[in-house]
Amino acid sequence: MKKKGILRALSAVVVLGSALILTACGGKKADSGSSNLPKASYKVSKDTPAWKSDKSKMTTLTWFVKEEWWNKDYGKDYITKQIKKDLNVNIKFVTGDDTKLNTYFASGNMPDMITIDDPNSKVARTANTWAYSLQDLATKYDPYFYKVAQKDTLNWYKIKGQTYGYPNYSNTPADYKSGKILPRDAFIIRQDVKDAIGDQDFTTPEGFVKGMKAIKEKFPNLIPFGFNDFSGGNSSLENVVQDMLGVPITKNGKYYDRDLDPDYIKWLNAFREVHADGNISDDSFTDDSNAFKEKVANGKYATMMMGSDVNQGTDLQNFATKHPGAEYLAINGIQSTVGREPTLSQAGISGWLINYISNKSKNPAKAIQVFEYLLSNKGQMLTNFGEKGKMYTQAADGTVTRTAFAKKVQLEEPTKWQKQYRIGEFILFGHDRYKALNKDSYVKAVWQMQDWGKKYLKPQFVIENIAPDPGTQEARALSAIQTNWSTTMVSMIRAKDKSEFDSALAKYKKFQKENSIEAINKTRDANIVANKKKLNMK
Amino acid sequence: MNSEAKRNKSVGSKVANWCRDFGRQWQLQTMVLPGIICMIIFNFIPIYGLTLAFKSYSVTSTIQDSPWVGMQNFQTILQDKYFWQSVQNTVGISAIKLVIEFFLPIILAIMIFELNWAPFKKVVQTITYLPHFLSWIILGGMLITWMSSNGMLNGLLNMLGFNIHTNHMLNAGGYWSIASLSDVWKEAGWGTILYLATMSKIDPTYYEAAEMDGASKIRQIWSITIPEMSNIIALNLILSVSGLFNSNLDQTLVLMNSQNQPKAEVINSYVYRVGLTQGDFSYATAVGLGVGIISVVLLTITNLVTKKLNDNQSVL
Repeated sequence: MKKKGILRALSAVVVLGSALILTACGGKKADSGSSNLPKASYKVSKDTPAWKSDKSKMTTLTWFVKEEWWNKDYGKDYITKQIKKDLNVNIKFVTGDDTKLNTYFASGNMPDMITIDDPNSKVARTANTWAYSLQDLATKYDPYFYKVAQKDTLNWYKIKGQTYGYPNYSNTPADYKSGKILPRDAFIIRQDVKDAIGDQDFTTPEGFVKGMKAIKEKFPNLIPFGFNDFSGGNSSLENVVQDMLGVPITKNGKYYDRDLDPDYIKWLNAFREVHADGNISDDSFTDDSNAFKEKVANGKYATMMMGSDVNQGTDLQNFATKHPGAEYLAINGIQSTVGREPTLSQAGISGWLINYISNKSKNPAKAIQVFEYLLSNKGQMLTNFGEKGKMYTQAADGTVTRTAFAKKVQLEEPTKWQKQYRIGEFILFGHDRYKALNKDSYVKAVWQMQDWGKKYLKPQFVIENIAPDPGTQEARALSAIQTNWSTTMVSMIRAKDKSEFDSALAKYKKFQKENSIEAINKTRDANIVANKKKLNMK
Repeated sequence: MNSEAKRNKSVGSKVANWCRDFGRQWQLQTMVLPGIICMIIFNFIPIYGLTLAFKSYSVTSTIQDSPWVGMQNFQTILQDKYFWQSVQNTVGISAIKLVIEFFLPIILAIMIFELNWAPFKKVVQTITYLPHFLSWIILGGMLITWMSSNGMLNGLLNMLGFNIHTNHMLNAGGYWSIASLSDVWKEAGWGTILYLATMSKIDPTYYEAAEMDGASKIRQIWSITIPEMSNIIALNLILSVSGLFNSNLDQTLVLMNSQNQPKAEVINSYVYRVGLTQGDFSYATAVGLGVGIISVVLLTITNLVTKKLNDNQSVL
């Protein structure tokens, strides 16, 4: 009886408590809309940045960045000190994951600015319900924003005619044409290996298999062929190889399944033969990014299908410095058997991290000023190169040279470089256009690789963000298909013979059919049409 | 009429009794209060979140705002091949773990208990506890290295004359044994603690008497040690069986790769992948709720069975 009484009391408390909490959470509904924005407290002009005329007192903004690695320091290093001084703004950075973001939404207590990383996510796709339109803010508070923002990028992120988010590293068609965007992928080989094996042709599947055998003979201690780790996706064996082969991204305006392209399959079979000869190590399939980096830094692989050489820059450089004459070089390899040119890709128009101003922000005027400042030439030079004169000098043609002092600090005091100067690290509005002004932005070891691929760069904007809406049946089916493909692709390379290879592929095709690939592709097709419209393409 | 009045009266007097008792112990009851409040906040109120399983929820909405979708998420589960694969793997790996990890600590505990030389006993205990304190991130990294094509395992096998150069982590068929054995290696030592504590409580005169009667060591273990531990063994069995659907997320995330995934994906990692990395919270909650219900059923069944075996006394 006693027990029952306590139970009853307990349940009463539970009901009461949850009721209280529910009422506390309820009631707050989004009241979006930019119509009731307060008037600017300063004179607005389209020729001067608003931060120059805004004399209001120091304001504090909260900025949520959905990346755990983001450095939350503010006002301690030269760069953020300068931002604070110029804009009279104090920024409180908060980092976290989706759960944290969700508590913001659920409580209605939103940070002023929000940075997320996935243009495909529900958060990004419903931005019009929780963020201010950048056009509204810019027109009202800082029309200079239109001068510094890329028109194509603004167009790309439009939802119902308004732009809510602005990404970093968004490359527009003009950027691709400018030659300032550098490729990241290449088939690379160690110089000493290349010299020792004589004339080998790595451009055809047959030559590739033969070339790997030749390497094994001369360098039994090296692994002839390597590729990026699988921890973040399908290594460099999927998209990167497809780009090398120039596999088209659409066919007759419709989505093209690049994984099933006959040319690509032919190359996968070549990789199978290389694996069967013992010239691909099984460990390459289980290595995580650290293990891969270690192998790169030690020159373990004789050749590599290198995806994103910039990210392996330090390791490539370390190896090159320690082993002069053995540094990795980009050569022609892994090329189309049907005569297509490589179509290397780089960051697309969607960019990487997307910045928003929440419609709960108490000070949207300051927030848009921050956006404008960071996007402007002044902000970009500051975040990329630091203090003019002390850290860098700029020539008449715009190219930037780091001062001897800057080079010394970077080389000898990396902690100080990061903590006190924070050069090239404040990248929420970063862009390669500025990085390209200084050759030293990239390590010397990748220069030749970048030069090799320059002429092959080609945007893939039309297939960006075309996946079905997250949370739908189609999205779940697509995720199942992608999981299955990861397993299938590796199984195909590790297959003992051609028949095992073929049956794995057939099984995957069947799996695709069973998991409504047709409906998914229809959604993709519709999204491609929408993308083309945004890009003004026919 | 009469009996009802009587009952009302007795209920009334019982309530009065309860209040009086409560009043007498109010100091003690107050001490319990913070615990109860914490439990309500952290264990009961979040139960409300389970309604997500019947809704279509996204990061940008609140739980109340999301539309009800009824059993739709559960219907999807039934057709989800990857979910069933993860159930199969979870139960498979757990069953192997259950068999080995249930018996091994008992045997190990008895062996440690029978050791007479104290310093050696301490060393054995420390060594067997040690892996428990390493996280799966470290242990998993070690395992991957050992299992790699030039790793320790192949080194040993090749020394014995086998000529093996495969990477064992890519072998989906072997994953269940790798996962369960490595878990046993990590946890068996730690599992002995409860048993050793119970054994130290056994009256030594039992053993003395048994020795006088000429019972062998094995006989003593069988007739004294094990019966004395039966309650704690039963409790551990109930907990292990109800944990059949629990899977080791840390271990899976470290050891899983694209090749062993069909055999390595467990419910927890599946929920993590779908719920957190793909933002499909409602679906993930539905999976979690379903698994929770099955676990409660399992717990009840094992409790009933052990109760039967234990002279109708529950150990819970």
